Amino acid sequence: MTFPKPERITLYILLAFFIFTSVLPLWTCIMTSIKTAQDVIYTMPLEPPSSPTLDPMMQAFDIMKRPLLNSFAFTIFATILSCTLGSTNGYILAKIRFRGSEVVFLLLAIGIFIPYQTVLIPLVMTISKLGLYNTIQGLILTHTAYGIPICTLLFRSYYEDIPESLMRAAKTDGAGTWTTFRRIVLPLSSPMFAVAGVFQFTSIWNDFLFGLVLARGTDALPASVALANLKGTTTAFWNVQMAGAWWYALPVVIIYLILGKYLIQGYMAGAIKG
Amino acid sequence: MNLEKDDMYTLLVFLPSLMLVGYFVYASIGWNVIVSLSDWKGLSPSYNIVGLAQYVSLTHDPVFWISLQNNLLLIALFVPGSLLLGLFLAILLSARVRAESTFRTIYLLPFALSFVITASLWAWMYNPSIGVINTLFAAIGLGFLRSGWSTNSSIAIYSIILALIWQFSGYTMLVFLAGIRSIPESQIMAARVDGASGLGLYRRIIIPQLKFPAMAAFVVLMVFALKAFDFIFILTDGGPGYSTYVLPLMMYRETFSMTHFAYGAAVATLLFAVVMVVVVPYLYLSSRRTKA
Repeated sequence: MTFPKPERITLYILLAFFIFTSVLPLWTCIMTSIKTAQDVIYTMPLEPPSSPTLDPMMQAFDIMKRPLLNSFAFTIFATILSCTLGSTNGYILAKIRFRGSEVVFLLLAIGIFIPYQTVLIPLVMTISKLGLYNTIQGLILTHTAYGIPICTLLFRSYYEDIPESLMRAAKTDGAGTWTTFRRIVLPLSSPMFAVAGVFQFTSIWNDFLFGLVLARGTDALPASVALANLKGTTTAFWNVQMAGAWWYALPVVIIYLILGKYLIQGYMAGAIKG
Repeated sequence: MNLEKDDMYTLLVFLPSLMLVGYFVYASIGWNVIVSLSDWKGLSPSYNIVGLAQYVSLTHDPVFWISLQNNLLLIALFVPGSLLLGLFLAILLSARVRAESTFRTIYLLPFALSFVITASLWAWMYNPSIGVINTLFAAIGLGFLRSGWSTNSSIAIYSIILALIWQFSGYTMLVFLAGIRSIPESQIMAARVDGASGLGLYRRIIIPQLKFPAMAAFVVLMVFALKAFDFIFILTDGGPGYSTYVLPLMMYRETFSMTHFAYGAAVATLLFAVVMVVVVPYLYLSSRRTKA
């Protein structure tokens, strides 16, 4: 046991400082969400309340429960659909290959990066024409379509690492392209389904823009838009707003803490946000 | 041979994705360009083509120039700020830190959260009367630093940039840390034997090898700096005045608040062009790198 060197101490002081800055907004959010309106004004934002209350949490839940259900509905369906399509597309582009498959892949990859403002007017027109404006189905369709590029990219790079010899062995056994997919490739895919699934779930759950332009009223209103609306009202004081933020953050925080390693793999695979 | 049946099946599986992406990405981009060349104003669509008129009026619109300037500010400050802070955190964590994964998990947490949440949190942090930062300053005797962080038009954009660096530095840390960990231990040992240590080791051996992670993170941050919308929309909604407008926000306001569809589409088309200037060379380079 040696006494830590001064530079080790500096190192840990710096690390602790950045923990403080990372956590500060989250900490004060929790503290504020369990305070009464008076306590919000008369106590320090960082200190715990003198008498904690769950009222803001309940109030926020009343406002957020329907939007949270909406968000769960379209997020789960769009995640399943985009991952399934990403898996078959990734297989086609990595293992079947055809003339121009590189170009097709490049065109799909560009879809990851486009600023969605560029397609917003046609999107709203299309979804309205289909009669899907303000519906869960409209949001499922939209999130699936724009989720295909990133899911394809994730599965393609994963399938490229499956050894060619394994594929050839299946072929000499007489298995066709899609029998090979079902018997050999798909059973190997569960780690990638976890990565893509967690990544898609959090991206779609966190989305704001599509919800903002495709849903009004209550029928399909996502939790993101409901929370943003909460901020605009004067009736919802800071404690209720912060409580609403926690309700909306909760599923992603749980996923992050339990399945974080898959999410990190998604981020590392050139994934993007926003 | 069941090759033909296989090919039919492949086409059948591939077609829905191709149609969805073809329609929702490429046809929609084309449609948007057409709208930008029209005079569509108001709720009923008009496809009366007037050429580049919308683009010409953009050059006379001060809001457009403010928005563009703010996007450039994000590129000039948010991008290097996130890269440097992330690199710094990665270097700290690479020094065999105890409970490293706990630190990593906490640093990255803000990046996993929706912009709607982080914008709500920072609205509370920046609130001028009872918000966290001003109250803290007052409490530690620095009351003169109290400011309208998000309500003073000369500093609001910098407050936004600071909060976004807070949210993204965990991501850049992750990318750089993976880069540092992929450098073979033997190289670092060899450099140590040659007498490199501490900062010299990082400057001469480690940082030069982080070119590719840096490039990947750079592109992600650049694209975000151009298309940032949610966070700004919720925190300041472009205000006070137009001081925190960015191009995506201008597009949204022109289109959906003022129903200037053709004009909004012109902003969107320009935005798309700028993003492609960043993304296409990157995709080209990285596809060549994987082949090599």
